[in-house]
Amino acid sequence: MHRSQRSVRRAAQLLVLIVGLSLAASACGSGGSDGSPSGSAGGSSGEIFISGSSTVEPISVRVQELFNDINPDVLIAVDGPGTGDGFVLFCSGETDVSNASRAIRDSEAEECAANGVDYVELQVGIDGLGVMTNASNDLVECVSFADLYALTGPEATGYRSWADANGVSVELGGAGELPDAPLDIFGPGEESGTFDTFVELVVEHPAEERGQAGTTRPDYNPSGDDNVILQGITGSDSSLGWVGFAFASGAQGVKLLDVDSGGSGCVAATPETIASGEYPLSRPLFVYVNSDKAASNPGLEAYVDFYMDAGLDQAVGEVGYVELTDAAKAEVRAAWTERT
Amino acid sequence: MTLATIGTVARRGATGFERKRTDVAGGLFKALILSALVVSLLVLAVLLIDTVADAWSQLSTRAWDFLNGSLRSRSIDDKLGVKQGLYGSFWIGVFVALTAFPIGVGAAIYLEEYAAKSRLAALIELVIRNLAGVPSVVYGLLGLFLFVERSTVFGFVGLGWLADATGGRSVLSAGLTLAVLVLPIVIITAQEAVRSVPSGLKEGAYGLGATKSEMVWTQILPYAAPGILTGTLLAMSRAIGEAAPLILVGAITGGLTRNPELWDASGLREKFTALPIIIVEWVSERGRDPGFAEAAAAAIVVLLVLVLLLNMTAILLRNRFERKRG
Amino acid sequence: METPDPVPGALSLAALAGSPRRVRRERLISRVMFCAALVSVVVSALIIYALFSEAWIFMRDVDWSSTWGELGWFPRRGIYDMPTLLVASLWTTLIAMIVAAPLGMGAAIYLSEYARPTHRAILKPILEILAGIPSVVLGFFALLWLAPNVVAHIGGEGGRGSMLTAGIGVGILTVPLVASISEDAMAAVPKSLREASAGLGARNAVTTLRVVLPAAVSGLVASLIVAVSRALGETMVVFMAGGAADAVIRTYSPYDGSLTMPSAMASLASGTDQVVGEGLTFQSLFFVGLVLFLLTLGLNLIGDRFVTRVREQY
Repeated sequence: MHRSQRSVRRAAQLLVLIVGLSLAASACGSGGSDGSPSGSAGGSSGEIFISGSSTVEPISVRVQELFNDINPDVLIAVDGPGTGDGFVLFCSGETDVSNASRAIRDSEAEECAANGVDYVELQVGIDGLGVMTNASNDLVECVSFADLYALTGPEATGYRSWADANGVSVELGGAGELPDAPLDIFGPGEESGTFDTFVELVVEHPAEERGQAGTTRPDYNPSGDDNVILQGITGSDSSLGWVGFAFASGAQGVKLLDVDSGGSGCVAATPETIASGEYPLSRPLFVYVNSDKAASNPGLEAYVDFYMDAGLDQAVGEVGYVELTDAAKAEVRAAWTERT
Repeated sequence: MTLATIGTVARRGATGFERKRTDVAGGLFKALILSALVVSLLVLAVLLIDTVADAWSQLSTRAWDFLNGSLRSRSIDDKLGVKQGLYGSFWIGVFVALTAFPIGVGAAIYLEEYAAKSRLAALIELVIRNLAGVPSVVYGLLGLFLFVERSTVFGFVGLGWLADATGGRSVLSAGLTLAVLVLPIVIITAQEAVRSVPSGLKEGAYGLGATKSEMVWTQILPYAAPGILTGTLLAMSRAIGEAAPLILVGAITGGLTRNPELWDASGLREKFTALPIIIVEWVSERGRDPGFAEAAAAAIVVLLVLVLLLNMTAILLRNRFERKRG
Repeated sequence: METPDPVPGALSLAALAGSPRRVRRERLISRVMFCAALVSVVVSALIIYALFSEAWIFMRDVDWSSTWGELGWFPRRGIYDMPTLLVASLWTTLIAMIVAAPLGMGAAIYLSEYARPTHRAILKPILEILAGIPSVVLGFFALLWLAPNVVAHIGGEGGRGSMLTAGIGVGILTVPLVASISEDAMAAVPKSLREASAGLGARNAVTTLRVVLPAAVSGLVASLIVAVSRALGETMVVFMAGGAADAVIRTYSPYDGSLTMPSAMASLASGTDQVVGEGLTFQSLFFVGLVLFLLTLGLNLIGDRFVTRVREQY
């Protein structure tokens, strides 16, 4: 027999040996032994699982990075499927912390209570909603809440031009001076806290008064990916859209519109007007902490302690959101230290 | 990578007949089909050049740090990198080798040697061929159903122990899901390799009094080994590049402290991420932080190096043995 | 299950008279092999069960008017307009085929009928490398290179994804598949046919067009069918470069962004295994999966028919 052929044969026999072993191993493995040693079994191993809002995700990741620099043994995983999706996981006890770009809903709180999940609500920062159009669109500079409701509310279904919305806008006390230009709307999808905040601030109240459903018109282009929204706005000359301010302020090819909450005049979105509450379209960013888990997991407690310290002072600003005022920070810190 | 591509493994092509004669229409036709090939190759070239160019800012200055770094919140960060993704992808490859390879080879030998031409074998082969065409995202649903959710089948066969054993959203779940995904590829290439064993070898072994399993062990496996290995390498490279099933199994996208060494098996039942997932995540982060586009390109270069190494090893291996056997 | 064949020939008696342990061992080994072969069947059954068990709940409880003729695909609002996904799937697949069919078949004809063996030995592996490129890489390439450099010049938007962008990306992905199956089909055409044609004085191009291609036609059709099935199931390229995520208004223009069946599934499941929404959102994931599964299965079965026909012919 040829020598190379013999070496091939030997290699092949070795291969089959491995096959047999791994077959046996997989057969035994399914018998119940876990296979690999794992450190996740114990409760105090210092593991933290965070999910929820993709808007708040960068803050929690930044806090994780800073925290792990001084405390590398606490193992943290941060995910960002969306505020609503996050609360489902949180209220079933799967996650330790839930990021949220809106306050928890009654239905979600009930779900938590039903599963015996107690939590602490902590505001960590502020984000404004940026209302935008294409950078080349000089027909619009400022929109009022009345305009926004008329353009995006349930009654706007089917509107293809900005001017279509003038009638409803005037009925709500708006100026009704929207231009006759094609209307392409881009915004976040419904799993998103940004969507909820917009509905809450702009749509819900007038919709209720007018006997309409408290949600946006369905015929706009929703997206969970802020980039897709920006792409949509830059791709259409007289588009309208909204995303979080942190995202909008850094974007190219779009123009941020001033917003008038009704009577108080047009306010431009800047970090200052958002922190002071002057700019009407802003929202709080929260983390929700499972209190029982914080009590039993020293790593989690230390992480949230750190969040309340460098998180509020450093991380929020570093990833582009607006820090709380000092008074508000003190209040949040008190809420954490005085939890029962 | 598809079955059909792999299907060409053991075949040698026919050559055309070259002629010296002025032939305008024929020349035009040749130019046309040549341009099809050239365009395909150009696209490949542009893709590679563009990606490397985008990745250059990361790779030229901090290649080693990038390979050792982790998921970060900002693209300008000394610790940004893909080690966690490498870990996930590496172990996915290992699980494919440990499960899809033995099961696939066993199935191929059964179909070719034990049940050849039986109706049962024909049925199983039909099932395998169709499994090979199932979209990867559907395998993701299967992984979600089997390894992550605590499912029951027909209301009484509980599969909760599977979710417990794998740890749910873990590398183990991802690896097993992708092993199932590439199993048809392994089987079909192994079948081809087994089929190519000359019947004289088999008959010789029987003539010397070998049993069937002895014949398989001493004749078929040694002869078919290169072909089987080629198929397994291609299957591993396919598995490492898949992202859609991992989205459904639930790879982590935001931040992850755990950053174990490649060979550290203690992280297998923990939350994980993988190279293709990191790429998708960074592409979508580039709006908040444009630097992530370059980071994504750099991660692609790392992934491509892995995938192409596996592919080229497979192709070289195949060509070498094809030539040897003439 | 079968018992192992007795050893053929005169030696069989002696072998059987040997040790029963040997026979038992043989039986055990053949049983293990059988179990390995059965894994695929079990996997298929599980896929079908998983899809049907959840999709069934959807089909039982859904208001069917919400699946046809509504505004668009809004799974979290209980609006599951299937035409939205089907139109997008059709567009991306059609565009992918417009790209992949000429490129793939052209490359196959060149490699099979024209290339010198030495050239072939270099070109073919390169094409195989293209086949090995992961779809996330093509998604990135489509979104960040094809969109501004190609799509923007044929009437699309350079700064965003669209069905057109995704379709071209998917097309590039399927070029090697078309090339490989087509080349197999042409290689299966007997040399004698080519020699006969040449003997009658036909030029190379004529032989290719009039003799080889007609003889290989069912293989060429098969390559397209399998490629269509692959394009329909492609997820990541459309997810990244399709210009839409999560939900979308129905659109008929390939210049718009939209969701195909698999990219709608990936969007819905993105990042979490706990899909929330009104009522049937989670189940809709499996319903779309089932539709996709049946479509690709049907195409693959048809494609398989054509491939077998080539094999039988020669």
